[in-house]
Formats: sequence, structure tokens, C-alpha cells
Amino acid sequence: MIRKHNRRAAKAAFAISFGVAIILGGAAAAPAAHGSAAATPIILGTKDFPEQFILGQLYKQALEAKGFRVTYKENIGGTELIDKALRSSRVTIYPEYTGIALAVTFKRSKLPKTALGTYNLAKQLYGRRGQTLARQTLFQDKDAIAVLRTTAAQYGLKTVGDLKKVPNLTLAGFPPFKARWAPELASQYGVKSFDFTPLAGISAYTLLNQKKVLAAAIFTTDPALISTRYVVLQDPRNMFGFQYVAPVLSKKLVAENGTRFTSTLNRVSGLLTLRAMIAMNKAVAVDKKAPAAVASAFLKANGVK
Amino acid sequence: MTSAGPVIPNFGEGSDCVTENRLFCTDWARDNWGGVLQPALVQHVELTAIAVGVGALIALGVALLTHRYPLLERPFGAFSAIVYTIPSLALFQLLVPVTGLTVTTVEVALVGYTLLILYRNALEGLRAAPPDVLEAARGMGLTPRQTLLRIQLPLALPAVIAGLRVAVVSTIALATVAALVIPQGLGYPIFLALREYFKTEIIAAGGLAVALALAADGLLVVVQRALVPWARTRRTA
Amino acid sequence: MNVAALGVFADALRFVVDERSLILDKTAEHLELSGAAMAVALLAALPLGVFLGHLHRGSFLAVNVANIGRALPSLAVIAAGISVLGIGFANVVLALVILAVPPILTNAYVAVDGVEADVVEAARGMGMTRLQILRRVELPLALPLLFAGIRTATVFVVATATIAAVAGGGGLGDIIVNQSVYGLDGVVGAAVCVSVLALGADALLGLLQRSLTPDAVRAEAGVLEPDVVTGVTRL
Repeated sequence: MIRKHNRRAAKAAFAISFGVAIILGGAAAAPAAHGSAAATPIILGTKDFPEQFILGQLYKQALEAKGFRVTYKENIGGTELIDKALRSSRVTIYPEYTGIALAVTFKRSKLPKTALGTYNLAKQLYGRRGQTLARQTLFQDKDAIAVLRTTAAQYGLKTVGDLKKVPNLTLAGFPPFKARWAPELASQYGVKSFDFTPLAGISAYTLLNQKKVLAAAIFTTDPALISTRYVVLQDPRNMFGFQYVAPVLSKKLVAENGTRFTSTLNRVSGLLTLRAMIAMNKAVAVDKKAPAAVASAFLKANGVK
Repeated sequence: MTSAGPVIPNFGEGSDCVTENRLFCTDWARDNWGGVLQPALVQHVELTAIAVGVGALIALGVALLTHRYPLLERPFGAFSAIVYTIPSLALFQLLVPVTGLTVTTVEVALVGYTLLILYRNALEGLRAAPPDVLEAARGMGLTPRQTLLRIQLPLALPAVIAGLRVAVVSTIALATVAALVIPQGLGYPIFLALREYFKTEIIAAGGLAVALALAADGLLVVVQRALVPWARTRRTA
Repeated sequence: MNVAALGVFADALRFVVDERSLILDKTAEHLELSGAAMAVALLAALPLGVFLGHLHRGSFLAVNVANIGRALPSLAVIAAGISVLGIGFANVVLALVILAVPPILTNAYVAVDGVEADVVEAARGMGMTRLQILRRVELPLALPLLFAGIRTATVFVVATATIAAVAGGGGLGDIIVNQSVYGLDGVVGAAVCVSVLALGADALLGLLQRSLTPDAVRAEAGVLEPDVVTGVTRL
């Protein structure tokens, strides 16, 4: 009886120590393997709205067409969330708006006065963290103010500053717009008083069409802008800043993957004009096409895949 | 290299049904089956299978342990009941700081939700053997282990499968909420479509989830009838 | 285990304390939503379930309603409800009612239906009318299981009201789905709050259930209370 007990105990002890040895050995080996030859994975993330899904698919499919392996993480969240993912290497590349990078990621209150200045400053600041920017797109998705073409004709509106001329100005926009831009509208353009209608469920364009408001705070790549009935007021003082898109990526990705990698990204960015982006946004938001399909069609039409 | 800019292909106009956001547009569903709906369905099945599989392993394991050490019943029962009561969305978000925005977070939560049902039913099943049968087995000279394997486990099957049915159906429904953490499963198209209240996508993905749950339930009923033909169908489960 | 995670929970608690008026407002919204849904669901399902159980009719309906109810993904029901009926308190409540009815209906039916026939016979033999039998015999005996259904439904509604936020429903879920506004600490803080809410509701109803159960019935049921809808007995 006792001998059987001892044998079982011995077997158990052996099994346990064997198991522990394997685990310890594996744990010791793993970091070594990780350190030596592991290439930085291409993990492409996107923020949480359709334009970002399209951009993500464009870059992803272009890279895959050139033979790169891409892990795609769509819909990560807002700027802070995705930047956090970038810093912890859960994402190694994502498309960012240069102005947002400065204002939100790097918390700059004073922004450069030119598009190139914005881009260069962002690139410099990312550089200090081990990241860099690929070339920026030809379009920008920034805040803007639009009016009906008829309204523009009626009051002679060309720039944002011309809104001064409109008596009883009514403006509709997403709730954060007023807090963010009202002071600047007053100080930079002298547009001091207007009735703000915060949007809750109805699009600003609908309100414009129904003549419920005279002006609308919109974004320059909105699908509705494909129509000629709206005029986007010019912003000569660049109050709204610059929001061209540039892929933010880890410097290691550039070093390890070489020029074929960055030139692919730049090729895509070079194709993205305002008209193209608006058309793709319309296809996804209005015609309910899948972002992957839209991106694929665009890339194929332009010989990228 | 054209100076006129890139070629912007015709992406295809949305049908009137889509642009007017009518209740259900079969053309959209057909066009987006391969790209949107089917991948989501496959992911959903995977999420469910892993959750129920792991949950069953843990629940059955602990149930067997409880059989040996009855003191385990209260703590594990209370633990699984507490996890079950925590709202799914809350549990996902509570796990995110620990396991990140990954499939792991979702699976840990989904597994947690199956534990109560599977554990309870496994225990019930193990206790289903009538005492006289156990007496008879002991009288025949069967060891406890043999009794377990040859008598108790087969008798436990009806309750276990009943528990699996509930677990599978509930997990399929719960996995739709996972889309708020990771872009996978049938909940993801619903979540995206909610921004614009795009009815077709919501109804298509939601309908698929319901169909999947009912199909899985039906399948398990067939399995149950095949494996345990002697069990009378319980009215309640 | 990630040390940073512990920090997040500390931040979350700080959020709840700092923003207690926000949390209180959202909790009130949450309770309003849940309360309204439960009230309507009880009105719709309870009498029907009890009645059907009393008549021993409609078992097919009662059991299958439970099956289908379990298979309904709450996110899909809420999304479908909102997209078809539009945003609004009433529409979210309707979606929640649809999800709450099955457990209440099924449990009420099975509870009343399952009262032992001999007991009912004995009561009839004593000369009680149908209504008296229902009130004095069937309902008290059915109470544990019936109440278990109400308890399940309540916790389910509180949990699902969280998801209603994606459809603009408000409540604590509003914080959880808007991480860009409230930050991670807000999200985790609200998640903790809603968990406490659900656990509290469950515990409270459990106490209520225990106090309402006649002693004789309680002694028989023992420590495990039946819960038909999950097909499982729970502590």
C-alpha cells in the first residue's frame, strides 16, 4: 500500500517538475526569439467613422497588392484612443488629420499658418516619439461653413467673413462647433452674433434645404457636397486650420520595409483629391456600399491593384 | 499620369430602396452578403463556439470537482451568478483595461455568462442518478470512478444538453453586444448601421442572429434526441 | 495582471465621485427606462401568464415564447425598434418590453400550471370558487417561480437598458458608449455603477421574493430557487 502511494507521488512530482521545466524554458526562450528576428507587424487601425474606414481599406488593400501582410483593426475609436493604441504598439499605422494631430494628440493651442507648416510640425513631434508621417493626401477634411447657392447669391457671400452681412444669421451644426469656433468667428472674421441650432438627428443639409437655417457648419468631405446647390464659404485666414490626411506610422516600419512600403502609401495619398474622397464618402454613406468594395473599385480604376 | 486627377469609377448608385431607407432592401442584402453579412456570420459562429466550448469545459470540470468536494458549490455558484447578473456591456468595459480591445476580452465575458447555466445544469445532471441505482452499482462492485463514467455521466446528459441549448442561444444573442468592443460578429454591422438608422442592414444582421440562434437550438434538440432517446422532453427547457 | 489596470479602476472611482451629479442623473434615467419597461411588461404578461396557467392552456405558446425571447439579440431588437419607429423614450421602452415579456409570461404560466393537481382538487372539494382557488391556493404556491421570472426580467431589463444608449436611449449606457466624451475612467466608472445597479436590483428582489414566499413553501424549496427561463436552479 505504502509503496503504491510513494510511486504515485513520485510520478506526480516528476510530472510537475517536468512541466515547470518546460514552462520556464519556454518563458526564457520566448523573449530571446522575440528580440532577435521579429519584424514589426503592420497593424493598420482606423478611427470610428466611415471616411476612416475607406482610408483604412485604401491603404490596406494597396499594401496587400504589393505583397505586404497587413493586420486590419477597424473602428478603434476617437483620436485619443487610437493614439494610445499607437503608443502601445497595438497599432503601428493609421491615417490621421494633421491639424487634429497637433490640436488633440500634441495639445497645441497655436497652430501653424500653412498646410505644410502643420504637416512638418506634426512630423517633427511624432518624430520625437519614434513615429513619422508619410506624405499627405490632396484633400482635407476640415470644418467649414456652407450655404445654399441661392443664399450666397442673395447676400453676396464668398468668404466666412461675408457672413457679417447677413442679418439674423442662423447656423446649424454639431454641438461642439459653437464652443470651439464661436470666439474665433468673432475675433478673426467679426461674425459676432448668430443663432446656433445644435444638430440632433437631422442633417444640417436638410435644415439648409428646408430654409430652416441660413448657414450650416459642415465638413469639407461631406457626401452632400457632391451636389452643386451648396457653396462652401472660403476661409482666407485659415481659421479652421488644415486637416490633410497623412498616415502616421512607426519609424521601424519604414526602416524595415523600405521605399516600396512608403511609396505605396504615398501613391494612394496622391490619388485622393477632394472630388475622389467626396465620391467615395457618398458611395458608402448614401449608396450604402461597403468601404472595402469602394476602396477596391477606386484602386483598381487607378491601377494600384 | 493625368493632370485631371484620379479616375473616379462609378461605384454604383444605391437603389431607391436604399436611398429612401425603406424597411428591407433585398438587393442590398444580396450585394453585401459576401462582403459584410457572411463574414460577420462566420465570426459570430466562431465567437459562440469558443465561448460555449471553453465554458462547458470549465463548468463541467468544476461540476465534477464539486461532486468530489461539495463545499465548492456555494462559492462557484455565487461567483457565476454574480457574473451572470453584470450587464454584458459593463462587463466588457470592465475587462478592457485588463485584456484590451481584443477577442480575449469578449471571450472571457462570454465564457463567464455561460458558466452559471452550464454549471447548474451539470450539477443537476450529476445528481440525477437515483440513489437506488447508485446502491445497485456499489453492490455490483463498481468503483466510484466507474460509477461516474458508466452511470452518472450518461444520466447527466439530458440536463447537460438542456444547459448547452440555453447557453448556445444566449451566447449567440449576447455576442452581438461584443461588437461594441471589437469589430466582429453580427453586432458590428448593426452597430455601424445604427449611426444612420439604416434599416436593411440592421434587420439583415439582426435577423441572421435570430435565425442562427433558432437553428442552433434546433440542431441541439436533434442531438439530444439522438444521444438520449430515453429522456422525456422536459416541458420547461 | 496589469498594474495599469488597477490605476484605471482607481481613476474610475474618482470619476464617479467627482461627477456624481452626472452619474445620479444618468442612473435616474436608467431607472426610469427600466421601470417603465417593467411596468408595461408586467401589465401585459403577468395576467396573461397566470390566466393561461390557471386554465392549463397554451403551453406551446408559453414555452416557445421563452425560447424565442432568449434568442432575440437585445442589440438587434433595440436597433430594429429605433430604426423602424424612430428615436424616443417610448420606442426604446417598447424594445425593452419585447425583451422582458418572455421570462415573465413563461414563468407565470409554468408556475401556476405546475401547482399540484391534488392540492387544487382538494381546494375545489372544499367548495372554493375558481377565483378563490386562484387567489388562495395557486398564486401563493406559484409565487416563488413566478417571482423568479419577474426577477430575471428586471435584471435583464436593467442590463439591456445599458445597450439602449447606442440608440440614443440615455441612461448609464450613455456614458459607456461615449468614451470620447467621458474618457476611459468615465466608461469604467459607469460600468461599475450599472453592475452595482443590476446586482442590487437582483439582491433586493431576492429579498422581496423570500419575504413574499409563504414559510411552508420556502421550507420545501430549500436553498435553491427555481428559475424556469434559464432551465436552471440558482442560489
